[in-house]
Amino acid sequence: MVEKLKLKKAGPGGCLAWCLLVVGYLALAGAAQAAPAPKPVPPAAAAEFRPRPLPPDRITPLPTRRLDAERLRELASQRDFRYVEPSARTDAWEAFWARIWRWLGNLFDTPTGRVTWKYGVYAVALAVLVYAVLKLMQVDVTGAFGRAGRRGQLEYDTAGENIHEVDFRTRIAEAEAAGNFRLATRLGYLEVLKHLTDGGFIQWQPDKTNHAYLTELAAGPLRDAFRAATREFEYVWYGDLRLNAALYQQARASQRAVSSLLAGRPAPVSAAIPQSA
Amino acid sequence: MENENPDLTSPTPAPDATGSTPPSAANTTAEAPAAAETQSAAEAATGPANSFGPRTDFARLTAQTEAIKAEIGKIIVGQQDLLELLLTAILADGHVLLEGVPGVAKTLMAKLLARTLEVPFSRIQFTPDLMPSDVLGTSVFRQNKADFEFRPGPIFASVVLIDEINRAPAKTQSALFEVMEERTVTQDGTTYGMPEPFLVLATQNPVEQEGTYRLPEAQLDRFLFKLHVGYPSLAEEVQILQGHHAGFGGTNLEAVQPILSADDLASLRRQVRQQRVEANILEYIAKLVGQTRAHKSLYLGASPRASLALLNGAKALAALRGRDFVTPEDVQFLAPSVLRHRIMLTPEREMEGGTPDDVVKQIMQQIEVPR
Repeated sequence: MVEKLKLKKAGPGGCLAWCLLVVGYLALAGAAQAAPAPKPVPPAAAAEFRPRPLPPDRITPLPTRRLDAERLRELASQRDFRYVEPSARTDAWEAFWARIWRWLGNLFDTPTGRVTWKYGVYAVALAVLVYAVLKLMQVDVTGAFGRAGRRGQLEYDTAGENIHEVDFRTRIAEAEAAGNFRLATRLGYLEVLKHLTDGGFIQWQPDKTNHAYLTELAAGPLRDAFRAATREFEYVWYGDLRLNAALYQQARASQRAVSSLLAGRPAPVSAAIPQSA
Repeated sequence: MENENPDLTSPTPAPDATGSTPPSAANTTAEAPAAAETQSAAEAATGPANSFGPRTDFARLTAQTEAIKAEIGKIIVGQQDLLELLLTAILADGHVLLEGVPGVAKTLMAKLLARTLEVPFSRIQFTPDLMPSDVLGTSVFRQNKADFEFRPGPIFASVVLIDEINRAPAKTQSALFEVMEERTVTQDGTTYGMPEPFLVLATQNPVEQEGTYRLPEAQLDRFLFKLHVGYPSLAEEVQILQGHHAGFGGTNLEAVQPILSADDLASLRRQVRQQRVEANILEYIAKLVGQTRAHKSLYLGASPRASLALLNGAKALAALRGRDFVTPEDVQFLAPSVLRHRIMLTPEREMEGGTPDDVVKQIMQQIEVPR
């Protein structure tokens, strides 16, 4: 009853499919029953059907391949086609390397060597990895070795003269004799800076401005004297103030006042200089 | 901090006894700078000087700048360095970008500075939907005459305060390129000149990211200075609170009186342009700026416009400090403000937490001061 209902639900298409399925099954079953079983072949007949070799083909013309003697000689002269066993003898260089490798082999063949080799490889690999990471991140590790503190003193434009190597007395005298009061004032100011540096009052660095040196000095007569010398130097050197002998005397007096204070002496009276510019 | 600038002790002529110059008095002495320049030229021609003192008369400049400081000091507490740099920019004829977190009186400082100048002022609040025509102006069709009339935008003023400049997109930012550099506005094929002086004071907030746009490099380069407005010290903050409490809140902007007229400013700028600059200082500036183009931490170096900005700024600063010549001190003082917005850090340097100011400082340490 249930199957009838299902068939009803399936409709005409469903009935046709079912019919085809049943007919196909019955046909296959009938064919299986009708097929005859294969008969066994007797041994004499099997020997009769053994395949015999074919006769050689004497009808098809085959071209005879002829090798060019010149080409053969040419190939034979090439290095790649010399099938000769290499000489067993080794030169001194190869013997040296063979000895090195043998020594290394012996070295790492010991228990200690094996441990060293095992962890050494890891250590080298780790070092290479760390180096690569630091390099990629552009990390400056030179500070780890105690060089970071001097960084400011390393990367200077060294075009200027070193104040610790200049013979100020001679050069100032030459500038005064030549009437170049501007240069003489500059040299005198550099000499003041040198004295202050030597005395430990300022820390000389070429990138510092005069104002920076002034702030390094403690309040007092020395700072006041240096301020006056600085002001006069700047008017001359940066302000292009053209000096006469009297003004130059004033500038030099200010510079000598700083040096005298550093030496613990009273400020001297200005020395005589040539009056002609 | 004690000011150790040796120039402040130089015998510069003092301002008048009241410490400020009334506008009327400032206006009546318009011929003074010309006379001072003539005197300076005459001195230069006669030969050696007689003393270590300024050869140019900065009395008027000193008096007027001190008066501006006094006027702004009525409202704003502290920020002396910022004010000095703003005055430097005004004298050097350059635009200024003020950057700082909200609430540190960026806009107030710009507004007050504009009030001390007796020139037309306008303010533009930049917003994300602002259009170039909202800034520059637009042509309107007049039916009665059957033609187009150009209606100038708010940029047509002498002092333009652009508040929160980084809130407008690049399209609107680019409207400022021509006017900031060439001082002209070209609209519908017609070029309109800007009045003299023309000064753009812009503010921006570096913290907020939502709804903001990074300024194009080309526009940043047009600002003479980028100034950081920092927090006040404890004492200054207490003073702010006391002043606010005493005034029962609110800020009386009317208390600030105009000091400089357009003519005054023009004459002061003429005076600044004639400052002396030695060849070794020029070379120093060129080395500083040139080093930004070769520094390993920088992706983009500063342009020659930065060199010119540094030179003009240094001349103005020297005049403000009572000197008629530029020193390396002036250059070093201004270098961060001139260069910080013109250079770009490499991504690696940025990830390390480096700042443009750090790099500028490094560069200054690498170059010997001319001496």
